[in-house]
Amino acid sequence: MDVALSMAADMKAKLFVLAVIRPPEPAESAEFNAVLEDSRERYERSFAPIRERARQKEIELETEIVVGHPAEQIIHRADTIQASLIVMGKRSHTILHRWMLGSNSERVLKYAHCPVMIVH
Amino acid sequence: MTNTWALAALWVGLALAATLLAIWFKISTALSEIVVGTVAQLVIGVLLAQGGLLGNTQWITFLAGTGAIVLTFLAGAELDPLVFKTKWREALAIGLAGFFGPFLGCTAIAHYLLHWAIMPSWLCGVALSTTSVAVVYAVMLELGFNVTEYGKSILAACFINDLGTVIALGLIFSPFTIKTVIFIAVSVGVFAALPFVTPWFFRKYGGRVSELEAKYILFLLFAMGGLALWAGSEAVLPAYMIGMVLAGTVGKDHSLIRRLRTLTFGLLTPFYFIRAGSFVSVPALIAAPATMLILFLAKSLTKAASVYPAVRAHKYDGSSGAYYTLMMSTGLTFGTISALFGLNHKVIDQAQYSYIVGTVIASAVIPTMIANSFFLPRHLLPHALAGRKPEQAVKRQAAAEEV
Repeated sequence: MDVALSMAADMKAKLFVLAVIRPPEPAESAEFNAVLEDSRERYERSFAPIRERARQKEIELETEIVVGHPAEQIIHRADTIQASLIVMGKRSHTILHRWMLGSNSERVLKYAHCPVMIVH
Repeated sequence: MTNTWALAALWVGLALAATLLAIWFKISTALSEIVVGTVAQLVIGVLLAQGGLLGNTQWITFLAGTGAIVLTFLAGAELDPLVFKTKWREALAIGLAGFFGPFLGCTAIAHYLLHWAIMPSWLCGVALSTTSVAVVYAVMLELGFNVTEYGKSILAACFINDLGTVIALGLIFSPFTIKTVIFIAVSVGVFAALPFVTPWFFRKYGGRVSELEAKYILFLLFAMGGLALWAGSEAVLPAYMIGMVLAGTVGKDHSLIRRLRTLTFGLLTPFYFIRAGSFVSVPALIAAPATMLILFLAKSLTKAASVYPAVRAHKYDGSSGAYYTLMMSTGLTFGTISALFGLNHKVIDQAQYSYIVGTVIASAVIPTMIANSFFLPRHLLPHALAGRKPEQAVKRQAAAEEV
């Protein structure tokens, strides 16, 4: 987030922060709704300090919480808003985890319409 | 193992391990708990103790049964009554297609192809007829269809589909006697009165530390469940109906629903799903994997044959229709509830139970994997978004992943 904020400040760009709630698969009614509600509250809380930092740096900021596969939602939203750059973190998953679920950053790199910056 | 606390520690420890696996692999806790129950029963049964996890211990049976009932109630309470009122025709058409196709098709295949007796075949049809409201809702949120009229009608259709499953489970295997008539008559009266009595009762006495609301809900579920069992039916039938009739009142009380979820996920459903998994016979699955494959294909193909035309008839394009059909082929909770009902009432034997639960798990996982691999990206990749506004192209924005 630090990198995205400083780049947006330097380039006087608008920053669009996307949080993706990934439901457990297969989703089951009660658990799914619990995950949605908890995640929305958690992301809303995490957006608060980002909004404050953006305000201090005079960055135009937009936030959104969506549901789905993280990589596909990032690609989808980036294209919808015609983002010039995607900045995303990289999680150090195990080989088994990556084999089973795939890497979000690899998927975004492969399909995104614009440059992608992966921050370690 | 006669030490109650040691046995409880073992089960809750397994639930904890299952939850960690669910978090690591981003799978549902229910699925994880079933698999952990199966593996734990196999390992503990073979290596340590003859009885394994002792899943038929009375207090475990009670907690597991309560878990199934409360989970079913919560599933019913997710219904949006307004959507159902406005889109009931479409919901009825798609929901009944989604229920009757697999129900009759899987029953026929179990009976004529696998040569199961008629009652186990009916049970198989019921268990494999389910769908998952949550899975379909998750897809709608991803694709943004949840706010459309057609999307809402599909969601309501899922409730109809599962209602068909629950009614079939509650009535097919019970002898039709005077007790059945009394059960139905009392149920109709209770279901008609609840939407009026419950909000009044909660307004008058609710909102206190003593958790009157939770006790009231549990009393209703146990009382109607007891009546259902007395009539030879199944306790989840009234639980689902109570959830549906209270969806517009109790279902909107987020605080109460959250407290019930804490009780359900923290204590009850781990016992239910681990117990359901512990009865799966791995040797039976290994001995005849073709049986599970046949049942899986039966469920998938009958679901596709019945749901796909119904969904297409409601103006979804081919890709969306295929995606919805795959998603409507899932369904973990009601599938395992039906199978466990059959095992407990000796409608099916342990091998048949294992095949059905194995198929339910496979049908919960494989359609999602296929859909994510072959269908979903095409909806979301840029070429699907040709109608964007030109002025958006000049915006300089970045998207950051926060997952």
